[in-house]
This record gives sequence, C-alpha cells and structure tokens, in this order.
Amino acid sequence: MMLRFKLNGEWIECEAEHNETLLDLLREKLGVKSVKRGCNVGECGACTVLLDGRPVNSCLLLAPLVEGRSVETLEGLRDKPIMRELIEAFVEDGAIQCGFCTPGMLISAYSLLSRNPKPSEGEVRRAIAGNLCRCTGYVNIVKAILDAAERLRGED
Amino acid sequence: MEAEEILEELAERGEFIVIGRGVRRFDALDKALGRAKFTADYVERDALVVKVVRSSLPHALIKGINIDEALKIPGVVAVLTAGDIPGENQIGYALPDQPFLNDVKVHYVGDPIALVCAENEEAAFKGVEAVEIDYEELQAVYTIDEALSEDAPRIHGGEDNIAVTTRVRKGDIEEGFSKAEAIVEDTYETPYQEHMYIEPEAAYAIPEGHDKVTVIGTMQSPFLVREKVAGILGWNLNQVRVIQALTGGAFGGKDDMGPLVCAKAALAAVKLGRPAALILDRDESAAYSVKRYPARIRYRSGADAEGRMTAAEVDITVDCGAYANRAPFWLWRMTAHAAGPYEVEAVHVDGRAVYTNKVFGGSFRGFGDVAMHFAVESQMDMLAEKLGLDPLEFRLRNVLRPGSRTTTNQLLDHSVGIEECLRGVAEASDWWNRRGEVKRIEGKLRGLGVACAHHGISTSRGAPDWSAASLILNEDGTFTYRTGICELGQGSQFGHAKIVAEILGAPLESIRVEGPDTDSTPNARPTHGSRGLMLGGSAAADAALRLRGRMVKVASEMLGCDEGDVELKDGRAYDRRRPENSVSFRELAREMYIRGVSPAAYGFYAPPRRYFDPETGLGVAYPVYTFAATVAEVEVNPETGEVKVVEVWPSMDVGRAIDPLLIEGQIHGAIAQGLGFALTENLIVEEGRVLNPNFKDYVIPSSMDMPRVSDVIIVEKPYRHSAFGAKGVGEPAIISIVSAIANAVYHATGIRFRTLPITAERLYRALRGEKP
Amino acid sequence: MRPLPRFRVHRPESLEKALELLATLEKAKPIAGGTDLIPLMREVEVDVKHLIDLSHIGELNFIREEEGYIRIGATTTLSDLVASELIASKAPALWEAAASMGSPQIRNRGTIGGNLCNASPAADLGPPLLALEAEAEIRSLDERRWIPIGEVFAGPKVNSLAEDELLTEVRFKTPPQGAGSAFEKIGRRRAVTLALVNAAAYIEVEDETCRVARLALGAVADRPLRMGEAEERLMGKELSEELIEEVSALCGRLVRPIDDVRASAWYRREMSRVLSRRALLKAWRRCAT
Ligand SMILES: Cc1cc2nc3c(=O)[nH]c(=O)nc-3n(C[C@H](O)[C@H](O)[C@H](O)COP(=O)(O)OP(=O)(O)OC[C@H]3O[C@@H](n4cnc5c(N)ncnc54)[C@H](O)[C@@H]3O)c2cc1C
Ligand code: FES
Ligand code: FES
Repeated sequence: MMLRFKLNGEWIECEAEHNETLLDLLREKLGVKSVKRGCNVGECGACTVLLDGRPVNSCLLLAPLVEGRSVETLEGLRDKPIMRELIEAFVEDGAIQCGFCTPGMLISAYSLLSRNPKPSEGEVRRAIAGNLCRCTGYVNIVKAILDAAERLRGED
Repeated sequence: MEAEEILEELAERGEFIVIGRGVRRFDALDKALGRAKFTADYVERDALVVKVVRSSLPHALIKGINIDEALKIPGVVAVLTAGDIPGENQIGYALPDQPFLNDVKVHYVGDPIALVCAENEEAAFKGVEAVEIDYEELQAVYTIDEALSEDAPRIHGGEDNIAVTTRVRKGDIEEGFSKAEAIVEDTYETPYQEHMYIEPEAAYAIPEGHDKVTVIGTMQSPFLVREKVAGILGWNLNQVRVIQALTGGAFGGKDDMGPLVCAKAALAAVKLGRPAALILDRDESAAYSVKRYPARIRYRSGADAEGRMTAAEVDITVDCGAYANRAPFWLWRMTAHAAGPYEVEAVHVDGRAVYTNKVFGGSFRGFGDVAMHFAVESQMDMLAEKLGLDPLEFRLRNVLRPGSRTTTNQLLDHSVGIEECLRGVAEASDWWNRRGEVKRIEGKLRGLGVACAHHGISTSRGAPDWSAASLILNEDGTFTYRTGICELGQGSQFGHAKIVAEILGAPLESIRVEGPDTDSTPNARPTHGSRGLMLGGSAAADAALRLRGRMVKVASEMLGCDEGDVELKDGRAYDRRRPENSVSFRELAREMYIRGVSPAAYGFYAPPRRYFDPETGLGVAYPVYTFAATVAEVEVNPETGEVKVVEVWPSMDVGRAIDPLLIEGQIHGAIAQGLGFALTENLIVEEGRVLNPNFKDYVIPSSMDMPRVSDVIIVEKPYRHSAFGAKGVGEPAIISIVSAIANAVYHATGIRFRTLPITAERLYRALRGEKP
Repeated sequence: MRPLPRFRVHRPESLEKALELLATLEKAKPIAGGTDLIPLMREVEVDVKHLIDLSHIGELNFIREEEGYIRIGATTTLSDLVASELIASKAPALWEAAASMGSPQIRNRGTIGGNLCNASPAADLGPPLLALEAEAEIRSLDERRWIPIGEVFAGPKVNSLAEDELLTEVRFKTPPQGAGSAFEKIGRRRAVTLALVNAAAYIEVEDETCRVARLALGAVADRPLRMGEAEERLMGKELSEELIEEVSALCGRLVRPIDDVRASAWYRREMSRVLSRRALLKAWRRCAT
C-alpha cells in the first residue's frame, strides 16, 4: 500500500506492507537507523519514536496506522534546542555507555522536557521507565536529563 | 631513557593532562546523535536472512533431519546442516565438546541443528518450522545432584558428567579449625543470570571473492571469532576478516556468543555466495544464549577469639549446562578467590563443573566471583555475629594487606587497597552510628549491609596473557591508534587514547582510535576479565613510548638541544630550557618521514610471568587484584516481602583512575545488574525449557528501581607493572553489591538467604517462618 | 518470535463503517492501540485476515460527564485517562490504575477498550471499573446493548463479544461527594510490570456508616472478581481498621488464583488480603475529602 505521513517534519510517500511495523518501515525501507530493535514487543523502549509528539513504541505500531500523522525520530529532532541540550548533557555526564538505548532514551527525555521544563527527579525516572538500559544503571541518565532541563531554563 | 623510567616519571608528576579527569568520550557524540552503527545497521536489504533450527528436546539422538518441505517454501534458499560444514564441526571454547551444528545428538533445548537461509524473515521462519527432526529421546539430566548420581546418563560420554575439577591445598586445615573459636558452615546456591543486553546478538557476513569473507558482528574477542570462523570454514586465518561493530552491551555474554553467531552467518554467506545476516530475536537470545553459570558452594570457615580467620574449607560445583564452554576458567576463578579478600591461614578448596541438559553457561561480568563472594560474605557476617563483632570491624581485621597471602598463597606486595575501600564506605555511610539498631519507618524495616570483593585481573592460573596495539604518527601530526580491544560501552578504547595522549603530550582530539578489524588491528586478545584497560592500555603505552623515543630524538635534533631537554606537550615539542624554541607535531612528523625515521610503533605488553601449580592450586593466580567494598541500605516491606534498595555506597581500589567518569559508569551499571541478580532476576527453567525469555517476566531493574548511589570512593593503589598503575574496573562492583544487599536484608529481617534472588515472595514466605 | 500474519489493515472513520467491515469481512479483528494484539501475534499463531483500526474513529474517543454518568469512549488511551481532571478527581481508583500501567509509550497507545477486550485476568482497569460498577456498551451493526463490565470478561484472554461486535463505551455513575475509591497493585518492579495482584475499592460513607462498599481483585482468578461477600460485611457498618482487616482476610479466601512464572497461588492469596486492606483503607480515607 502507499503510505503518506510526515517524517521528521516532511511529508513523505512510501510503499508499505499492511503487516509491517513502523519500526521495520523506518529501519529497512527509509534508512532511519537511530530507531533500534531490542525486543520487538514493546518492552524495552529502544524503538521509541514520537507519534504526533508523543513517545510510542514503533515495534507495536503498524505502519498503515501512521497514515496522515507525524512521526519524529532522533534524526529529525537532533537540531531542536531541547534535544541539543539533552545530547550535550548525555555526552558530558557519562549517560552513554554502549549507546544502544540512547536514541530511545533521548526521545522519552525530549518528550518530558517539552511538556515539563522543571521535572523532579521522580518525574524524570517515571518518564524513562519504559526505556530499559542495561549498562548505566540510569544514574547518569537521570542526572543528564535534570542538567539539561536546568540549562534550558537558563539556571546554569 | 628507559620506558619504565619515563612512565614512572610521568606517573610521579602528580598532575596529569588527561589522566584522572572525566573527559568527554569521543564515541559518545555519535551515539547520542543516533549515528553510531551497530551490527544490524550494516545489513543491506538484499542480504539473506539466517535462522537457526533448534532442538526442541533437552537430550536426544538425532535419527534424521528432513529439509525437503522447508526447501519448498517460497523464499527459502537453502537449509544448511552439519554435512555442509567445510571445516571442523566443532566450536567448543575450552573443551572440544560442542558441535557447531548437531547431527548426532542434541544436548539442550535450543541446541542448533540447521540453518535456514531465506530471502526474508517470514520465509526463514516458515522454513524453520518446516524442517523435520526425527529424535530418539534420551533421559535428561537437570540438576547438579542428578548429574553426579551414579546412574546418570553421560551427556558427553566418558566416565561421568564432570567436565573439570580444581583444588587448592594451603596450610593445615585441621589445625586451622582447631584454633577457631567460631565455626560456621552452610551451602549457597546461585542461579543463572541472563545478560539481557538491550542489543541482541547479531552477525553480518559478506563474501569477498571466492576465498575470503568479512564478518561484522557483536563480540568481545575479534581474534577468537576469526579463529572459530576459520575453523568452521576450514580456512586460514587471513581468509577471514572480522570487524567488531559497536556492541550494544556485552557483559561477557558476547564473548561467547560472538563466535557462535558470526560463524553461522559466515557459513551461510560463503556457502551461498551472498551476504547473510543472523540477528537473534529477544526470546532466542534470552532462552538460548549463554548465561551466568549456576553454582553450589558448601562453605565451612572459622575464626579465632581475636576475630582472625583461621580456616576455610570450600566445595564448589558449577553447573555447566550442555557444554563446558568457559567452565574451567569460571571454576578456577572461583577456586582461586575462595577465601575472599581475606587472609586465611589454611584453605582447602575442591571444585568441579558438571554437565546438565540445560542451556550452557558462559562469561558474565564478575565471573564466578559473584557466587564465590556471596558465600564468603555471608560466612563473614555469620562468623562476626557468632563472635559478637561488628561485621565491618570483623572484615577490617582480616582483609588482605600488602604482605598478605591469598587463597592460593600468592604474596601481595603492593596495590592492595581493600582496607581503604572498607574504611571509605564505613565513613561515607556513617556505618558506626547507623548499623546499630534496625529502623522501622512506617512499618518498613531498614537494614544496612556491607560486603567486600576482590577480582584478579587477566587470565587465571598464571596462563600467559599479553596484548598489542599500534600507533602511527600521520604527516599532519595526528595519530592513528589501533587496538583489538572492543568498545562495548565501557569506554576502554577511550582510556587507551588518554594514556597515549598523556605519554605523547598530544591533544586528545588528535588521536583517532580505530576499533577492531582483524585485517589491520594488532591482536589485543579478548575484551574480558577486566583486562581491556590494564592490558590493552599498557600495550598502548608501550606503543606510545616507542614512538615517543623517536619523536624526542628527531625533535632534539630539530631544536638543537639534548634529548633530555625535549618536552612533548600540547602537540608540540619544546626545548625545556628555551620554551620559545619549539616545533609542532606536524613539523616533527614531516621531518621524521623525510629522514626515514619510522612514524609507526607496535606496542606489546605482557604482565610479569607467573608460577602456578595446578596440583596444589598454589602460586600466582593473577598478576594483580582489583578490590571493592560496598555498603547497601535496604528497606523491607514485611507486608509484601518487597525489598527496596534505598542507597548504595560504593568504593573501589582501581590502581589508577584513568577516567573517573568511566569508572563511575562501570560501577553504576554493575550495581544495577547486581541488584537485579540479588532481588528480581529469576530465569525459570523447567525440564530444560526457559519459561520467561523476555523483559516482561525476566525482570531487570528499570529507572524506578535504582537506589540513590553515593559518590564512588576511588582508592588508588597503583599496580607497578601497568600503564600508570591502572587495574581493571569492569567487574568488581557487581561482586560486592550482591552480597551487600543480601547482608542488609539479613540485618533488617534476621533472615539469611543462601539462594538468590530474594524475590518478594521468597522473603514474604521466610518472614512467615518458611525456610528461606 | 513470529512474523506478523498477512492481514490487511482497514481504517474506517466512522463507527458505522467499522461495524460494517467487521460484519462483512472474514476473519476480521479490531485493533486499537495494538499493545496487546501485536505482542500476541508475535507469540502465537493468530488466524486473522483483516484488522479494523479503531484509532481513526473520532466518535469513540472522549471522556465526559453527562446526565449523572462519567462516559469514556473505547479508544480513549491510558494517557488520556491520566490527563483527565475529571477522572483524577471523581474516580481516583481508575486514575491510579491507568497511571500504574506499562510505560509512557504503552500508555500513549493502549486503550481502555483494548485493556477490557483483551480480557487478561490481570488487566489493571478491570478492578477499578468493577468497583465503580461500570457498564460497557457493546455494538454491532444492528444491536446495541449495555452489559456490566464484569461480563466483558469470559475467561483468561477471552472476551464475551461476538465477532462482529465492538465495545464502544464505558460508563459509570458519577460518584457522589464523599465517595472514595482507590487502586493498589503489586508487581515485580516499580515500573512496566504486570500485576501479580491488583485491587480496587469504592466506598460511600454517610453519617459514619458505610452505605456502599465495593471491592474487586485482579490476577486472582480467570477474570477480575468482585468480592461480594466482603462487601456485604462492610455495608451498613461503621468502618474501622479492625473491620477492614477482618474483611480483607476473608478476601484472601474468596479468590481462586493459580501458580505461574510470576508468583504462586499462595502468595497471590496473601497479597489479595494485603491489597484489599490497603485499597479499602485508602478509599475510606478519601471519603472525607
Ligand atoms: C510493555 C507492556 C506493558 C504493559 N503493561 C500493562 C499493565 O501494567 N497493565 C495492564 O493492564 N496492561 C498492560 N499491558 C497490556 C496493554 O497495554 C493494555 O491492556 C492496553 O490497554 C491494551 O489496549 P490496546 O488498545 O493496545 O489493545 P489492542 O492490542 O489494540 O487490543 C487488544 C484486544 O482487544 C481487542 N479490541 C481492542 N479494542 C476493542 C474494542 N473497542 N472492541 C472490541 N475489541 C477490541 C483487539 O481485537 C484485541 O484482541 C502492557 C503491554 C505491554 C506491551
Ligand atoms: S523494540 Fe520496541 S520496545 Fe523493544
Ligand atoms: S547504554 Fe547500553 S543499554 Fe543503555
């Protein structure tokens, strides 16, 4: 089927299978590789993208369902001010080890800071609860998100 | 100047340029931008999809394999079985007990039998379902006791199911126990632990002409992968090129899985002349990949009235699962660490590893030391209690100090910082004031526990170990550094770059690290055993020192000064006496090229030779040990049995902190994994089948489960024979956290768990009087 | 892990059209958030040829208060529930349940209709909706009926709907001033965890006397259960901690849990008691405020 949706701010048209997930479509056909597959069943968060601005698991989303909607990935978000600050903080604070969870983690963090510029530590933890990380113990990830928020508020 | 002297001089500067500071990692940015490439990101769309046909029975003879139906499925290109292997059908790591594709017998549920190669996932899946295996089922062996029983079926033939044995005989054990005022004895069991790296195992193989193959994959030992792939293909090593893609978490598991997945993809690619990819599904990875070996430890130990350890008698059984894999090394590690980081006069250890018809074990952060210290640290707490001593005080009386001798009677003359670690966490956690009474907060019980760890770096038993690296000064004054040590998230390569930068006075940005590619990087041996930085980094230092010598020589001639007066700093060579007299590395490089002075250096490092006697188990088991101590505070909800870890105080003697941020990262990650192992991670294996191969039911910690982690207390007791004195840091923290949590649970509840994990249900039952 | 079956996806924009597709297409199944259905299709063989996507049907997505009822459209997501002031203030049990579910990503896709129709015994919205005595509107092309929420559940992962039917709405009477409700859950970690046991309580107190008490438990039988016998012991009585304790102990005996990889039946019984008490106490405390 032909599919039309907004990918990272631009309307695109592409061929998709009915039984294809957005994760497969992005990775295999559209070359969007920042979106990772860790489990394929919604449990790890590595495949997180924004659908109409909200984080969702792209492995659980059938490609046909994004018709007419907006999908954003790290490729499209990395130049936005909030994401730039997050990326900077992740690098500075040692929030990245193997990096496999990082894109999904950043999307969840981005979504949080877009809605809530002054999150508490608990809110940060809750916002990334659907993104598993096996390397960092989350400590420096939480710190990085709080640091980014602080810098975005200009309190640095 | 001699290399050692230069290093010593550098080390004694006290102030470093990049060593010891948390500097931003250069690999982090690409990862944060989503540009970093993992194995699956390399796979082209037209690559063949490889899927593994696996045994559905734990123990059976294979009577027939029928692939006809599978081949009829549209999209299935081929089904490869043992007969298609051009080389040797054998991929065992320590022992030749593991066929690559089984055609005679299967040994566990999941044992590979055939490879379906297809145009797409769907065809591959259907192909796997369509392959018919005719089995003759055999009696299966599931437990250690079954494996050791007289009439147990022999899984790998032979006289019994014992894969390997170990022993240590140090001192007079009878005398030791006769001096003891308190003796405790118990049996401890630790279960499987699944790595659950977020990136599942993957390999992508591309045939190059008719007699070469390139394999890109997740791994920890590219040269081991090369050896195994070449063995399966029956090729020479130089016909196989192995490239380590960025690896999404490894923790030991990908050391074992790397060769297994890479060889499968390579066989398909070579046989069919097309690029082929094997990417494990999560459930496959969780059910059939290697796991932390389960172990059972009987432990008897005693201490005298002064609170000094007098004897320890330890009996270890490791459950290998279907194949030995790393079991000999695992078992030796447990054996050599059996007394813990304590000085014990008399130590007797007997160990064995036995086969069962279950998924086989393999490397996992901390190796057998996690299980061993769980036993040791539980015993220490129990002895302290019996003697009426505070458990931390009791440990302080017994910890290894410079001049002490270890389990294997190895003399430790320097680099022993466990006492400082222990004192550090005692102070940070306010132990002496807070350990006293158990606090009750809103019906919940708070407890404080402590545990120590030691972990030998590099190979066990004095087996030779070495590492290599190469360094090139380019014409523009930049450097290309090549190492076979893998980036797995731990940042070891970055540590190497810092060492090179420090020695050469080169800006960190001017050093580019090229990761493992067996065609161009020197063999650094595996990235395991916490050796990546100590061994790999020391090879880096050796290369840098060699190059430095030549750079200094040419610079002295250019500057017209003595070699001794040349100082390398900020990418320039200075005449120390006339600092305005200097040349840039670019100018220096050009000059070296023109003069024909080699701008490339090959670095090599081997720790001092060691003597170890496997008969008595005595000798120098490891070149050096990293030490750790951890205090944990837990809160137990007696109403549900739930344990919440409230805060953790970690410390580690790292030799020299090359990068505090990297060390902190390793410790945080280890705490999370240890917390999971201690409390929630519970792989359920029934009749050889893993029932919960997913994140839903194999519960690893989420962001909500992590405790507050106090600042890491870094103790620096440099090791004399490594670059800047660094020791490995990847593993020790998981060893101490597990026992610290278990001991804290005991403190809070008075219940001692001898098996893990301490799930809410188990604790709840124990609180109601059931035997834990 | 299985590849997804070869189905066609249909995206009707009206309920009418969706019902028509369901009635006419063979082997058709609705899909809302897909957070239950997709993992299911990865795990076992599902015989389906057509998926009818409900997410485009505007008329199924609402939360409103009308004529004494709180009404929730079937495709309302868990995040929508969490974001709703109305739900937070009038039905905290439902709010707490939704907030406890999955991850932010799952809550952004998972729907109330999907949670109920998936009919998992552990479905977190089961107990609060039972305690609120909610009803579900079930529609097919030519029929429209209201059934008590409990009747949606027909067995573990089996709902009572016919193949051409949709759950379109959930409603319950707006709790009066002075009513209280609460939800409790125990899992195996602090986020993204299925319930080992979950519980919800609803209480109305008047002049110190308990007028209405409802209690429901999940993951303790083949479907979420009301604890009728326990409720009766509370109604008409003056509430006290002792009474609640006693009634909760009874709940531990009323449930019919099973052993599985997550917990034993025995532990589930014990937790039924603990969570019943917690939920009742919390609901009771909320009555005053
Ligand atoms: C990682 C993860 C965590 C989760 N955590 C929780 C949790 O904590 N608690 C919990 O209760 N659940 C949890 N779930 C399960 C799931 O997310 C919820 O049950 C969710 O509400 C399902 O809604 P959905 O819209 O995604 O359902 P779908 O998957 O779209 O549908 C589920 C079933 O209901 C049918 N259906 C859907 N809508 C209708 C309708 N209107 N009429 C008729 N039939 C319909 C479908 O055909 C399908 O059979 C979790 C799932 C995942 C993957
Ligand atoms: S891959 Fe989608 S959540 Fe794991
Ligand atoms: S950094 Fe490796 S999984 Fe998060």
